[in-house]
Amino acid sequence: MNPIRDAWQSIFRRDPLSTDKGKSEFVFLNVWLHIHPAKVKKENLKVKHTFYLGFITFFLFLILVTTGVALMFYYRPHPPQAYQDMKDLQFVVYLGSFLRNMHRWSAHGMVICVFLHMCRVFYTGSYKRPRQFNWVIGVILFLLTLGLSFTGYLLPWDQLAFWAITVGTNIGSYAPVVGAGIRELLLGGHTVGESALLRFYVLHVAVLPALVTLLTMVHFWRVRKDGGLSRPVWKLKDPKSAQLVAIGAPDTNAALPAVPASQDKTYGLMEVVTGKPIFETVSAEEEEDTVFSYPYAFFREGVALLATVTTVMAVSIFWQAPLEELANPAKTPNPAKAPWYFLGLQELVSHSALLGGVIVPALAVMALLAIPYVDLNPSRRPADRKWAIRAFTLFVVVNVVLIIVGTLFRGPGWAFVAPWVHIAGAE
Amino acid sequence: MNINRRRLLNWGTGGLVALTSAVGLSLGAVLRYLTPSVFYEPPQSFKIGAPADFSFGPPTFMAEEKIFVFRDREKGFAVVNAVCTHLGCTVGYFQNDERFHCPCHGSVFAADGAVLHGPAPRPLEWFEVTLARDGQLRVDKDHTVPASYRLMV
Repeated sequence: MNPIRDAWQSIFRRDPLSTDKGKSEFVFLNVWLHIHPAKVKKENLKVKHTFYLGFITFFLFLILVTTGVALMFYYRPHPPQAYQDMKDLQFVVYLGSFLRNMHRWSAHGMVICVFLHMCRVFYTGSYKRPRQFNWVIGVILFLLTLGLSFTGYLLPWDQLAFWAITVGTNIGSYAPVVGAGIRELLLGGHTVGESALLRFYVLHVAVLPALVTLLTMVHFWRVRKDGGLSRPVWKLKDPKSAQLVAIGAPDTNAALPAVPASQDKTYGLMEVVTGKPIFETVSAEEEEDTVFSYPYAFFREGVALLATVTTVMAVSIFWQAPLEELANPAKTPNPAKAPWYFLGLQELVSHSALLGGVIVPALAVMALLAIPYVDLNPSRRPADRKWAIRAFTLFVVVNVVLIIVGTLFRGPGWAFVAPWVHIAGAE
Repeated sequence: MNINRRRLLNWGTGGLVALTSAVGLSLGAVLRYLTPSVFYEPPQSFKIGAPADFSFGPPTFMAEEKIFVFRDREKGFAVVNAVCTHLGCTVGYFQNDERFHCPCHGSVFAADGAVLHGPAPRPLEWFEVTLARDGQLRVDKDHTVPASYRLMV
């Protein structure tokens, strides 16, 4: 009897990690890790295929939740205390400025990484059957990320906050029929004031994070159920595997394959169910290409986590999160610019609020959501998808150009200026 | 209990109607809950001071009320909204060209509020200005008036 060993084994109830059984149990007896398969395919680990962008986005979300909760200890969502609390965080609270920087820069990073992740999923054709709906969930998560950023930067109650929310909620009011109602509901009134700050705070710290958490769980679950992370299957020897692996009962009514005499293994759900059971066949050849998640996948994920945290920390040491002067409803700064990721939208609304602020973004979102249902080409091979790739690239380029124009080429009065005018400080 | 087609359809329809109304009513209640019953906001109608407080020439900007007060020797008083009709930024009056400029998206308005340039969809709003009993000017933001409206004092 060794009480310490007994206690240890009451916590970690698995075989030693030196055994294959232990390595498997490490994954599936652990509530936090069991979303992983016990074994992963070697190509799943390839950095050059996924760039681990989904992981990095998730890790940034974890940093945001952690630092966000920390910031809540010193923040009162009421003007003008909200702004005082920001100043306290900047100059008085121990590590306050560092935590705020981390929160702000992770938020920017998350917007970038969600977008890049979406691009990666598109270019690798990973949204195709059976993953169509997971693409839709991803697009919704992208919109929620933007919503979190938008509600987040009202909270400091500085000039940027005040005017961004004024402009943002006014864009909403251009929506037909429901527009004015949406604005009043968001602001809890008719002007940007204390009720608006409280509402954006509740959305930012409770409603939106909860939605993101729930949808992320569904997003991950479906990735797992649809055969795991995306792989460059078109590079495999067998040309048939250019399509994604489908799970679930086979589409045809053909007889189920008998368990083959070869080395292939067929796994099935053997519960008492009527109808066709769910089968997944793993060829022996394929099994040779797999490794245990422990340690190979976890090591790489750990590296991605460490790299993400270190990068955010390093950036937060050297760059201060911006904080403008106290919100002044009487004086609009000139130029009044949103954060960079909304400057494409701001460039659009500078031409027409209804067209640029409501119709074009709504159509863009609908187009994104429809992609997996419109693009019925089953092949994931880039050579077979030239037009899809061109169309999506055009979408990305237009977005980037609009953001660059809004960021660098717009000066006071939203007039066109050359970027070196900013750099020379000639404003 | 015996379930036949008629029974199933009757109860099923009734159940669906009840469920839909319950969900609809709850959603309505949530929306109503989120709409404040009282707005603790500045009043839409307010006094801005005695006529003698305002100078002739370029309009006086009143920051808190977000209005410009014009006073003209022949024509009298007029009050224009300083809130841009595009997306709600506060416009500025520039004496050199006698125009209103919006800093957010570059809309330009003439001195009578008409849109000269930029994305603004409508001219700036003019508010009714009257003389209160105590001799002060009263502005009513709930009453818009044509740009030609003037109060002679």
